[in-house]
Amino acid sequence: MTDTQWPRYEVFVQERPGRPHQHAGSVHAPDPEMALLNARDVFVRRPECAGLWVAPATAVHGGSAEELPQLLAAPRSQGGSPSNEYLVFAKLEERGTLTHVGEVRAAGREAALAAAQEAAGNRPPLALWVIPAERVERSLPEEAASMFDPSRHKPFRNQAFYHIQTALQRLRRDPSLIANRQSPEARR
Amino acid sequence: MTDDERLAHFEARIARGEKIEPGDWMPDEYRRQLIRMISQHAHSEIVGMLPEGGWITMAPSLRRKLVLVAKVQDEGGHGQYLYHAAETLGISRQEMIEALHSGKAKYSSIFNYPATSWADIGVIGWFVDGAAILNQTMLARSSYGPYARAMVRISAEESFHNKQGIEIVLALVQGTPAQQAMAQDAVDRWWWPTLMMFGPHDSESPNTPALVRWGIKTRTNDDLRQEFVNQTVPQAQAMGLTLPDHELHFDKSTGNWRFGEIDWAEFWRVVGGDGPCNRERLQARRAAHDDGLWVRQALAAYAART
Amino acid sequence: MRPDLRPLLADALLGLADDEMILAHRDSEWTGHAPILEEDIAFANIALDEMGHAGIWYRLVAELRGEEPDTYPDRLVFHRAPDEFRCIRMVELPKGDWAFTIVRQFLFDSAEIVRLQALGQSHHPPLAKAAAKIAIEERYHDRHLRAWVRRLGLGTEESHGKMQAALDQLWPYTGQLFEPPSSEGELVAAGSFPASEAMAAAWVEGAAATLADAGLRTQAGQPGINGGRLQHTEHLEPLLAELQSVARLEPQASW
Repeated sequence: MTDTQWPRYEVFVQERPGRPHQHAGSVHAPDPEMALLNARDVFVRRPECAGLWVAPATAVHGGSAEELPQLLAAPRSQGGSPSNEYLVFAKLEERGTLTHVGEVRAAGREAALAAAQEAAGNRPPLALWVIPAERVERSLPEEAASMFDPSRHKPFRNQAFYHIQTALQRLRRDPSLIANRQSPEARR
Repeated sequence: MTDDERLAHFEARIARGEKIEPGDWMPDEYRRQLIRMISQHAHSEIVGMLPEGGWITMAPSLRRKLVLVAKVQDEGGHGQYLYHAAETLGISRQEMIEALHSGKAKYSSIFNYPATSWADIGVIGWFVDGAAILNQTMLARSSYGPYARAMVRISAEESFHNKQGIEIVLALVQGTPAQQAMAQDAVDRWWWPTLMMFGPHDSESPNTPALVRWGIKTRTNDDLRQEFVNQTVPQAQAMGLTLPDHELHFDKSTGNWRFGEIDWAEFWRVVGGDGPCNRERLQARRAAHDDGLWVRQALAAYAART
Repeated sequence: MRPDLRPLLADALLGLADDEMILAHRDSEWTGHAPILEEDIAFANIALDEMGHAGIWYRLVAELRGEEPDTYPDRLVFHRAPDEFRCIRMVELPKGDWAFTIVRQFLFDSAEIVRLQALGQSHHPPLAKAAAKIAIEERYHDRHLRAWVRRLGLGTEESHGKMQAALDQLWPYTGQLFEPPSSEGELVAAGSFPASEAMAAAWVEGAAATLADAGLRTQAGQPGINGGRLQHTEHLEPLLAELQSVARLEPQASW
C-alpha cells in the first residue's frame, strides 16, 4: 500500500460574520471531516474566525488571469444539470487573495467558470476559481463556539502579552536588578 | 510570444510590483529557485520544532510550558503554510519530505546545534527568531503571491516567539547567579551560529543575483546581518550579557556595531551535514514519518471506502 | 460554601488538575513526532487546552485553600513529591504508539465531558463557571477524537489490531475515572460535586457505543482499583523528575 501525505484541501476563512470567506492556504487530510478539523487547528490558532470552509483541491476549477483564456476556450464536458451551484472566488487586488464573491449556476465547471468571468464584468479578476457547492465542507453555526471561541482565550499567542520594551527600559534605568552585574570590560 | 518576450513581460510585471500567481508563466529558474527556497524554509520550521520541543517537558513553570507548546505549535503551522506555497509551484509535500529525509534537501543550519540548557530556549527565541523576523519581513514583499501571503501570516505570529525568548532571558538575568551564568553560557554558544543564519557574504552567494532581479530577495545577507547585530547588542547590554566577540565595537560614523569575521570553515562544515546534530535531527524526522506510516495508510483506507 | 467542605472540594479538584497536567505532559511528548504535520499541530492544541484546564483547576484549589492563585499552582506542580499527586494512574502511563495515545485520550476526554456537564450544576459558582468554560474546548476535543477512533478502528487490519490492543491495555484503568473521592457523600449532599456512580454509568454506555461503532470490543465491567488517587504507577516518579528538573535547580527562583 502506498504512502501519501493525504490529498490537499483548500481552506477558506471567514474572519467575521457577514464578511466573505477568503483563501488562506490548504491542509492535507484523508476526508472532508478531517480537513475541516485540520483547517481549524492550522488556521484558527488566533482570532478572528467566524466560519471555515474546505474543498478538495481537485474540485477547484480555474486559475490566474494568464491562464483563464485557455481554460475558457477548452471544450465543455457533457451532461450535468444546468442548475448545479458553484461557489465563485476571485482575486481582485494585487495585495489581496481569492475571496468569495458569489455563486453561479451552470451545467459543468467550464460553463461555471465562463459564467463567473462574465459576472465579473469590467473588473477582470487577477485569479478566478469555481468550486461545486456540494464539494465544499462548511463549519456549522451551532459548532462555532467550540470551533472558534477557544482561540480568543490564548492571549499568550499574541505579542502584546509580553512587555519586553518596558522590562528592558527598567533594567537600563536600574542595572542593580541584574544578578552579579559586572562591567563588560571586566568580564572579557 | 517567444521565450524572450515572455521573460521581458514577466520581469516587467515584477518591476510594476505585480504578484506572480500559480499558473502564471515563469522562467524555469524562478520556479526552481522558489521551490528550493520555500521548501528549505519549510523544512527549517519543522526541524526547528525538535530542539525546542524537547524542552517542553522540562519548562520550569506553567506559563513557560504553555508558551513553549504554543511556540512549537506555531512552527509546525509555519512549516505547513510554507509547504503549501511550495506545492502551488508543482511539487508535492511527499516529494519534499522525501528530499529532506534522504539528506538531499537543506534546512537552516542553526537547528543543527543542540539546546543543552533551559536558557538555550530563551536565547533561541531572542536570537534565532529575532533573525528570522528580519528575513521574513523582507520575504513578505516577495514577488510570488503564495510565498508573500504565507510570509505575511508567519510574520504576524513570529513576533511573540522573539518576545517570549527575551522574557525567559530577562527572568534569568534578574535571578540567581547560577541563572545568569546559564543565560551567558547560552549566549556564548548561540551568537555566532545565529550570525551564520544570514548566509555567506553576498559576494560568495551564487543564488543572489537571480533572486534579486526577480523580486524574491530584496536585501543582502550582510545588510540583514548588520541590522540584526544593531538591534541585538543594545538588548544584550541592557541585560548585562556580553557577546563572544572581542572585536565588537560601535562605529559612530556609520551608526553600526562592527563585528568580527565569521568562522566560515565551521559554517560550510555544518551546512554540509557535519554539524553537532545533523544526523540526530534527520533521524528523528525519519522515525516520526516511518512510525506514522500505518496511521496515514489507515485513514486513507477508511476514506477510500466511504 | 461551608468551611469544612472547602478542603474536601480542594482535594477533589486537585485530582482533576493533576489528571490534566500529567496527561498534557504526556501529550506534549508527541510534538514534532506525530504521524503527519497536521496532527502535530492538532495534538499540540489538545495539550495546550489541557494545560489551560489544569491551570483553571489549580487556581480554584488555591482559592479554596486560601493560597495566592498566581503562585500556588507552580508550587503544586513543580515542588510536590510524587506521593502527593492525586492523578489517576491511566494518565501516567507512557505515551505508547499513536493508537495508545488516541485511545487513552478518548477514554479520558469522553469521561471529562460527562463530568463537566455534571460539574456545571455545582452550587459552588466558581466551579460551575469553570466547568462551563472548559466544556466548550472539550466539545472540540471530543469531535476530533471520535473522528480518530472511528478511522483507526475501522481503517486497516493493522490499525484495528493496534487500537484493540491499546484498548485492552487501557480499559482496566478506567475504573479510576469515576472512583468517588473519599468525601463524596458530604460534597454531593451540599450540591458541590456530582455523584460518581451516575456519571460512571453514563460514561460507560456512551464510550462503549462509540468504541463499538469503531469495531472495538470493550471488556464487560471495570476492575476495581485499589489504593485511590494517592497511589501511583512506577511511571510517575521519573515523569516528575523530568517535569520538575529545571525548576528544582533553583527552587526559590523565578523563571
